[in-house]
Amino acid sequence: MGPTRARRTAAALAAATALLALCACGSGSDAADGRLTLTVATFSDFGYKPLIEEYERTHPGIDVKERISQFDQHHNQLSTQIASGSGAADVVAIEEGYLPKFRAVKDKFTNLADHGALDREDEYLDWKWEQGTLGTPGFVMGYGTDVGSLAICYRKDLFEKAGLPTDRAEVGKLWPTWDAYFATGERFRSRVGDKAWFDSSGNIFTAMMNQTEYGFFDARDQYVGDTNPKVREFFMASAQATADEQSANLQPFSQQWNAGIKQGRMATMTCPAWMTGQIATAAGDAGAGKWDIAAVPGGGGNWGGSFLTVPKQSKHAKEAAELADFLTSAAAQKKIFTGPVGALPSLVPVLEDPEVRGTTSEYFNDAPTGQLFASSARGLGPNYRGTKDQQARIPFGNALQLVEQGKADPEEAWDKALDEADKNLR
Amino acid sequence: MALQAASTTTDPPARATTPRRFRGERHLLPYLFIAPFFLVFGVFGLYPLLQTFWVSLHDWDRLAGAGEWVGLENFGRLLEDSDFYTATFNTLSIFVLSTAPQLLAALGVAWLLDRHLRAQSVWRALVLVPQYVSVVAVALVFSQLFGRDFGIVNWVLEGTGLIGDPVDWTADTWSSHLAISFMVMWRWTGYNALIYLAAMQAVPRDQYESAQIDGAGRLLTFRKVTLPAIRPTIVFTVVISTIGGLQLFAEPFLFDQQGNAEGGAEHQFQTLTLMLYKYGFINNDAGYASAVSWVLFLVIAVVAAVNFLLARRSERG
Repeated sequence: MGPTRARRTAAALAAATALLALCACGSGSDAADGRLTLTVATFSDFGYKPLIEEYERTHPGIDVKERISQFDQHHNQLSTQIASGSGAADVVAIEEGYLPKFRAVKDKFTNLADHGALDREDEYLDWKWEQGTLGTPGFVMGYGTDVGSLAICYRKDLFEKAGLPTDRAEVGKLWPTWDAYFATGERFRSRVGDKAWFDSSGNIFTAMMNQTEYGFFDARDQYVGDTNPKVREFFMASAQATADEQSANLQPFSQQWNAGIKQGRMATMTCPAWMTGQIATAAGDAGAGKWDIAAVPGGGGNWGGSFLTVPKQSKHAKEAAELADFLTSAAAQKKIFTGPVGALPSLVPVLEDPEVRGTTSEYFNDAPTGQLFASSARGLGPNYRGTKDQQARIPFGNALQLVEQGKADPEEAWDKALDEADKNLR
Repeated sequence: MALQAASTTTDPPARATTPRRFRGERHLLPYLFIAPFFLVFGVFGLYPLLQTFWVSLHDWDRLAGAGEWVGLENFGRLLEDSDFYTATFNTLSIFVLSTAPQLLAALGVAWLLDRHLRAQSVWRALVLVPQYVSVVAVALVFSQLFGRDFGIVNWVLEGTGLIGDPVDWTADTWSSHLAISFMVMWRWTGYNALIYLAAMQAVPRDQYESAQIDGAGRLLTFRKVTLPAIRPTIVFTVVISTIGGLQLFAEPFLFDQQGNAEGGAEHQFQTLTLMLYKYGFINNDAGYASAVSWVLFLVIAVVAAVNFLLARRSERG
């Protein structure tokens, strides 16, 4: 049952697959007529289907297969494939939160700079490019796909009920800072007592942390969660608001959370561009027109967004790098944003494209999503993630949950978070 | 060939009548037949077991590979880790909470199925239905049933006035253990019932008849005839349930839908296998995870040995 056993099993499976592949080579046409199959592995739908079809049309002799798995599973699988040295796809997506975890094994990934990636540096948002290079000059681990620029989604009808302004520009003015956001929450709660102000303290904390350059780790990858005053400030603010009963205490992305969105249990939610799709799916048709989007407190921030990498174990690194380049090109990113997936581009020319800027969302009361998300994406800096960021993040999330469950007050939760993080980072 | 020659010399004279060419095979064949098991066990059982022990003696990152040799440090760290004791308690608690009622219920179900029912095979097939359903689906459905806000269980409990406020099933030790035990019971009761049923059918019918003639009621017959007759089967199910129960993973893993193997904010339902998964596959600390898996292996071995001894004693008694 040990991880090694799983690894060995995985290796054995991979070996078996490789054998099968060999057999296919012998009998099939792969080698004979020079056809090449590239695999692209992503989590959730990246909107690549039409792009892949286009690529296959313009590149006769190359077949592209898509492999989509669930978020955590995708990244855990990649760890296993990297560890066992085989089984990884030719082009693999890595989400920014998981990227640092692979920093320690970056030599297992093709340096895209060897395949002309450096020519694209000027196109990218500075901070996105920097994330993809892991801060190593001359090395490019991945081409940036999308970014998750932050906003706040709010229930227009509930705001009206509470006597708050409903126009998105005025709503944005209600909360220049997070303090003002929580104060507005108090005002809201005093008038609409049976609704919460936000969905989950964890999401608020994450959003705040995504607005700082350094969170749990400093530039030398040292854990500073216990000494960085920002971490304490954000933690205590989210915890205090939760203790004040502003949170609907819904665990993010759980069934309860989805049901909570559908039932309209809270008035606001932290809203990266990709969250709009989550809300629309959870709330369904009945929620259409009830939601709107306003600016986020604290002026912008980034949450989410991915990179396309090429593991060194790929037999066709050159072709894979070309495909990754194509899938993140300006034309491709624009197509994805204006398509059903709607992920926000990470390229400056696309973000400034009038057509992209003019995009609106019908579901969110025709909110100018292009304007809202694209304009705030420009003003951002990178936020540094430590190699063990996730291992620090989880104990803090657990501690906030304790406040939501009424098992600890904010100070107790803070102490617990520090203890548990120390333990988890050993 | 060497074996064949050797066996010829040691063959007792009584077997000399066997045609010469069969003699060697006679000695080899049985071993050949069981060899695949040992080969497969060696590759997938023994080798990983030893390799896991080797890994546990190192500071070993799953991605970066072998690091420094640390001796038994991982085991020492484990013994000082309060999470380890929480996980051990959780594992045993969920195991007891789910296994005892489950086996009792299975006995009852088997007893009912052992009588002459209409559409007998339909009932017997139905009992096994929970086994066909994927454990992932079971866990998802149950976590919805035990949901805080819109769960049916809370709705019923509130409706009957048993509770005032909705229970947050994942939040507390007792409630999470109870909910997870229900999932385990749902999945395994029917399976054990069928095993008991098979054993009950093998009980000689004349024993029942003589009990009946002696005027014993149904309950008394069950206690004095059925139970003693199927005791070896009960021991078998207890051993199997113990091994399964101590390795419980999917149900607690899927219960809170976080996918991070934390087992709740205070690890209140983190089992040993969840802890193993957390360190091995989330924190990538293969050395520590291997230590956990070895300790788990030892715990199971000890419990199985105790089971075995108890069973032997009860058979003698």
